[in-house]
Amino acid sequence: MFDWFAWKVAMRHLRYNVGQTLLTMGVVAISVTLIIFLGALIGGLQIRLLNTMTGAIPHVVIRQPERLPIALWNLPQDSEVIAPLYSGNAVKLEQQKRTIPDWIALLNRLEGTDKNIIAVSPVVDGSGFIARGAGRRAVTVNGVIPERHNQIVDLESDLVSGRFYGLNAGEVVMGFSLSADLGMQTGDKVRITSEEGITATYTLAGIYDTGYSAIDKDAVFITLRDAQSIFAVGHAITAMGLKLDQVLEADSLAERLTLQLPYESTSWMTENRTQLTGLRAQNQSSNMIIAFTIVAAGFGIASILITSVVNKIREIGILKAMGATQKQIIRIFTLEGTLMAFLGGLFGIAQGVGICLYLSQFEQIASETGRTTEVFPINLTPGLILGSLLIAIIVGFLASLYPAWQAARVNPIEVIRGL
Amino acid sequence: MNTNAHKDQHPVAELKRIDKIYGTRVKTQVLFDINMQINPGEFVAIVGASGSGKTTVLNILGLLDTPSNGEVLLNGKNAAQLDESARASLRRDYLGFIFQFHYLLPEFNVLENTLMPCMLRGPESMANNRERMIALLELVGMADRLRYRPNQLSGGQQQRVAIVRSLANDPLLILADEPTGNLDSKTGYAVFDLMQNLCEKTGKAFLMVTHDEGFAAQAHHQIHLVDGRIQ
Repeated sequence: MFDWFAWKVAMRHLRYNVGQTLLTMGVVAISVTLIIFLGALIGGLQIRLLNTMTGAIPHVVIRQPERLPIALWNLPQDSEVIAPLYSGNAVKLEQQKRTIPDWIALLNRLEGTDKNIIAVSPVVDGSGFIARGAGRRAVTVNGVIPERHNQIVDLESDLVSGRFYGLNAGEVVMGFSLSADLGMQTGDKVRITSEEGITATYTLAGIYDTGYSAIDKDAVFITLRDAQSIFAVGHAITAMGLKLDQVLEADSLAERLTLQLPYESTSWMTENRTQLTGLRAQNQSSNMIIAFTIVAAGFGIASILITSVVNKIREIGILKAMGATQKQIIRIFTLEGTLMAFLGGLFGIAQGVGICLYLSQFEQIASETGRTTEVFPINLTPGLILGSLLIAIIVGFLASLYPAWQAARVNPIEVIRGL
Repeated sequence: MNTNAHKDQHPVAELKRIDKIYGTRVKTQVLFDINMQINPGEFVAIVGASGSGKTTVLNILGLLDTPSNGEVLLNGKNAAQLDESARASLRRDYLGFIFQFHYLLPEFNVLENTLMPCMLRGPESMANNRERMIALLELVGMADRLRYRPNQLSGGQQQRVAIVRSLANDPLLILADEPTGNLDSKTGYAVFDLMQNLCEKTGKAFLMVTHDEGFAAQAHHQIHLVDGRIQ
């Protein structure tokens, strides 16, 4: 309910006591600035950390489960024994690559089953050696469909030279560290030998710089078909990579897919437990800092308003004698607190956003190809800004309740005689 | 009945068999069986030594305090045991107050201060009473000070503004607690004359607490309080 009288008196108090009003607004403004700055910085750091963990890898990988040897006496009673039984000393099992033969069906099934899955990329991957002249490096060889895989690891935008999209048979792309190690430039030829022992020659079609050493230094990308032939998997693939919108839901999605599909799904989170715990701890400590800031601001507002009530005790007494009700007096002071918090909050937003914008313009060179990253990873969202304003308003209101209640309890008899 | 003089009308305020006892464990009775009535247009003075209970009478009549026993009739209705918010509305609608210290609000100018009781009722009341307040301020010689802040006025001028303020809500009864107590004697007389003058011109009832026998002698009625009893 709008109380014209309370509004009028509160506004006049605020305007007349400029010093006190500005002081209170300053307390709120500093707190809101701190909340926005901390929130944006820690949010940005978390995104950077998550990117470091997940940017170069699929969030969920689907593979054929590893076939573990089962002792004969543990075989289910009704199971068909497919493999011939050997006995003797010269047992050597052929190393067999685990593959997904019906991957086109799987691809179709995965696309559109879950809103969280934003990209699906079939991959034939394995270990290999890359050799040029005397240079020889162990690498992970990834056979991919460039347009699909780029949605998982964005190589196309990180290209330093050449191309990734439209990669042809007999062409390879690699990171700048590896190409520098091998002394290669686009157009140069290189030999790749797979773990199956098959060798083929490739032309370097593109060099990228992603900032992830795992793929800048230790991986190469060729076409899916080329990989199928050097790893001798026929028309099958070895893994299906998924990219998710909500990366932190990878665990539950992987669990669900393992139950639904005849394959094993692994989440990136399984491999990054320690970092994830660190991320949560960071999150909690930032929340605690923000909570303490809010409490401190609340006490600041409350103590300034209490002083104001003490200073105005005679005026409050005369207002009550003239017929102002307790509710009206409470409204005057809660309005003052809330208004000052709102205005202070606006200043705080301006200041916080200003600081964030200022800091976000600093960039540093991240690698010798000249790729830059921001010094302060700032993630400024409308939610953070509006949320901090809302918090300021709520805190201003709550902090003014006690002073307002004190004012409402003023007994006119006690003050009007000058006691 | 209403054609007759104000003394034939029903009283604007009445105290019936009022006792006031302070304290719960150690009880101190400050008022004993107080009966009085105030008629429209009447100027009543309560005199007595300090501690005789005159301010307590004024507070009870002004609905700022509640009696331990007895009835407080305001415009014929018993208001003795109403709750705080009901008493606040009665104060707002029927009573005006003048205190020893003026307690004008420093944030508001002279005209706004006199309109404060109207402000409590809302913007319409403020607009409707604006001209009347300006006229009253002219009457008390403050016409050229409408936009001044209280701290730009002398003590006598501030008290005159406070007197005009007490008339803002067109009250039935104006209660004045030692209104001249904080003023030098010359200014005090001027303020007292002003109140008498307003009593005559507006037909409002005034109740003034004072320990100045000279002022009391000029009132229509005097009530002498000695140790909580009317003499």
